[in-house]
Amino acid sequence: MEKPRLSRRRFLLGSGAVLGVAAGPRAARAQARRGHIIAGLSERMLTLDPANHYSISSTSVLRHVYDPLLDVTNDDKFVPALAESWKPVNNTTWRFTLRKGVRFHDGTPFTADSVLFTLKRVRDNTKLIKSFVYQDLEDVRKDDDYTVTVTTKRPFGSLPAHLTMLGMLPPGAAGNEDAFFGKPVGTGPFRFVSWTHGDHVDLEANAKYWKPALPKVEKLTVRFIPELSTRAAALRAAEIHVIDRVWPDMVSTLRATPGIKVLDTPAVEAQRWHFQLAREAGKDPRIRKAVSLAIDRNTIIKELLLGYARPVVSPIPPGLIGHTNLGQKPYDPDKARAILKQAGYQTLTLDFVLMKDLYPKQLEIAQAVAAMLSEVGIKVSIRNLEIATAREQRTAGNYDLFFSGWAHMPHDPDWYFGQWFTRAGAEKLTRFSDPRVEQLIAEGRVPDPKVRQQKYEEIEKILWEEEPEIWPYYSVAIYAISDKLRNFEARRDYYVLLHEVGIA
Amino acid sequence: MRSYLVTRIWQSAVTLVGVSILVFVILRVVPGDPAKMLLPEGAPQSAVDELNRHLGLREPLWVQYGIFLRSVVRGDFGQSFQYRSPALRVVVERVPATIQLALTAMALTVLVGVSIGIVAAVRQGSAYDYAGTVLAVLGQSLPNFWLGIMLMLLFGVTLRWLPTSGFHGWQSLVLPSVTLAAFPTALVARLTRSSLLEILGQEYIRTGRAKGLGEPRVVLRHALKNATIPLLTVLGLQIGTLLGGAVITESIFAWPGMGKLVVDAIFFRDFPVVQTILILSATIFVVINLLVDLLYTVIDPRIRYG
Repeated sequence: MEKPRLSRRRFLLGSGAVLGVAAGPRAARAQARRGHIIAGLSERMLTLDPANHYSISSTSVLRHVYDPLLDVTNDDKFVPALAESWKPVNNTTWRFTLRKGVRFHDGTPFTADSVLFTLKRVRDNTKLIKSFVYQDLEDVRKDDDYTVTVTTKRPFGSLPAHLTMLGMLPPGAAGNEDAFFGKPVGTGPFRFVSWTHGDHVDLEANAKYWKPALPKVEKLTVRFIPELSTRAAALRAAEIHVIDRVWPDMVSTLRATPGIKVLDTPAVEAQRWHFQLAREAGKDPRIRKAVSLAIDRNTIIKELLLGYARPVVSPIPPGLIGHTNLGQKPYDPDKARAILKQAGYQTLTLDFVLMKDLYPKQLEIAQAVAAMLSEVGIKVSIRNLEIATAREQRTAGNYDLFFSGWAHMPHDPDWYFGQWFTRAGAEKLTRFSDPRVEQLIAEGRVPDPKVRQQKYEEIEKILWEEEPEIWPYYSVAIYAISDKLRNFEARRDYYVLLHEVGIA
Repeated sequence: MRSYLVTRIWQSAVTLVGVSILVFVILRVVPGDPAKMLLPEGAPQSAVDELNRHLGLREPLWVQYGIFLRSVVRGDFGQSFQYRSPALRVVVERVPATIQLALTAMALTVLVGVSIGIVAAVRQGSAYDYAGTVLAVLGQSLPNFWLGIMLMLLFGVTLRWLPTSGFHGWQSLVLPSVTLAAFPTALVARLTRSSLLEILGQEYIRTGRAKGLGEPRVVLRHALKNATIPLLTVLGLQIGTLLGGAVITESIFAWPGMGKLVVDAIFFRDFPVVQTILILSATIFVVINLLVDLLYTVIDPRIRYG
């Protein structure tokens, strides 16, 4: 029998292990954190200011640098982040108890002052993109260093949800914001290192992160690669480890590449094509009903989206507060024809406006819808317009049906209802106006989740019956990752979050 | 010469003011609301109005232009709507990537294009000539996006010799610059060939050969120099175009250059960025044109201005 030889490499490895054990848990933790993850995101990051954007890519990057008060899990549960707990004191007052012992990357402690600064800044500086959401804040008061009371002008039940999207800033940023956002500090799992505009952001692990044993890797780079085919090529060439916003027709190519996994999950997004309710076609509920009956949603899902979408059973996707199952809308072209005939419509033309290249397969889907509607005698004229122009046309009311989707971003439907189904919100959009719905939306703004669920169910029943919009399908979020990634979660909200992800 | 120069500089200044007015007015006349593009789809109209007020878009057009002109003179091109930082800084950050790509593509164009052109002219009718013609036809007819993706799939994904995309190191420059250079190289090759052929038929070339000059000296020294004039015009225009950004190539290779920046800025109605880029590229164009015209006098002493 051959005698086992102790090579130099083995000897060094062995002695390293002995030293590692001797150095205790700190060294073990440091050993656990290793590697460099490179993500490729579809949208370019525009700013390092967490209050000044609603971009999903920017949120994905900045969530690693800044922590919000609350987080939302992939199953739509609101969980503590920098706030350990929160509760409504009454319908217009929220109290937040903050986590102790958290420090910003520059060593300053996170306290109530940070919350006061962040919230007052976003409310008072109306140049900030997120400012309009926080206009209902009446006052933000510091009860002690770790307790904050927020009072609002009217019930603001979705405040905790919105706060999941607002990273907390150190009060020291006041007065020199330009310099601060040049090299920002947060309390997040990664520290900001550098940003090559239009190309990538480099982050490094925050070794003193308040969540133990996180992050799992030393370095994180986020590259911005807007073209899907380029993003996919970079992943296939093993240059990056994860990509977002994969389209259904790219899935088979990626699946066929060794070392790549494709993950998908039902998104918090519902497609909704809204009618212009002040124009002839949209105004008549019989036409809306006929259009709805003439669209074969299952064929769109199966044939055009290759199964990467879910049938809709209510305007709010499953998992979110307010969701209820009202059953799928039927496909019945005969009934559609009968309704139109009864209503006396011989020829009808619908102006279907699309925002160019915004949603996967949208033009093909619109063409299929045009064919389906022509079967029942409705002629569809598709106008595929550049985004800014399409939105301008919508404001002017020059459309019958508008192709759009709605991602319920803070995992809460209040924003959707408030914007699209109140008179003030819909005035320059769909021209929707229904005092019953408006009343229910106002009543559903309270913090009590039971009341909210009940009010939202009532709203949805009315909308389901009236059909001011066509809800063709719930979207599915598709990601592709390297099989070296460990613990990656395909998020419903399209975020790419990597602080709990390791790499082999 | 001096009076010619003064006239040309004066004309250039007028051109640039004209460009700035045109850009300013066109941007504001086309449909599309910048605040709406910045805010999420569900922002209330009051937020849209408030943001437009902050962006200075509620003033009358001539007041906006006056403010803009006054700031430009001070070197301030306004704040980018999208990036929330000075437009000039946003644009200047893209300059290194744009220049690297443009110059590399230009160098490839000159080296490869002129070489192919010379060989094809000198060996007219040979296999080299036909090969050159085929390459030139391919270079001019293959669309950039197709060529770019094919190169990326071959050298990036399959062979893994070069990075597929991005802006890091010389390796990442290879595929985009080859893609970008394909068209102008073909153009230059054909142009070099045809103008060289014309000159090689001239009597002074025969004289040169008759007095015993070596062929390389005849071609490179006597013929090529005279064939350079039309070439310079084309190259000048190409440099201007390349520096203005190469939208398709930049999009395919996720190259952080000016072309993609301006297209995105147009889509998102980021007026200050569009204005900055267009005014800067117009300036570059005007200056290069001026330089090319002056360069003629150096290369061909018979050309005189004034």
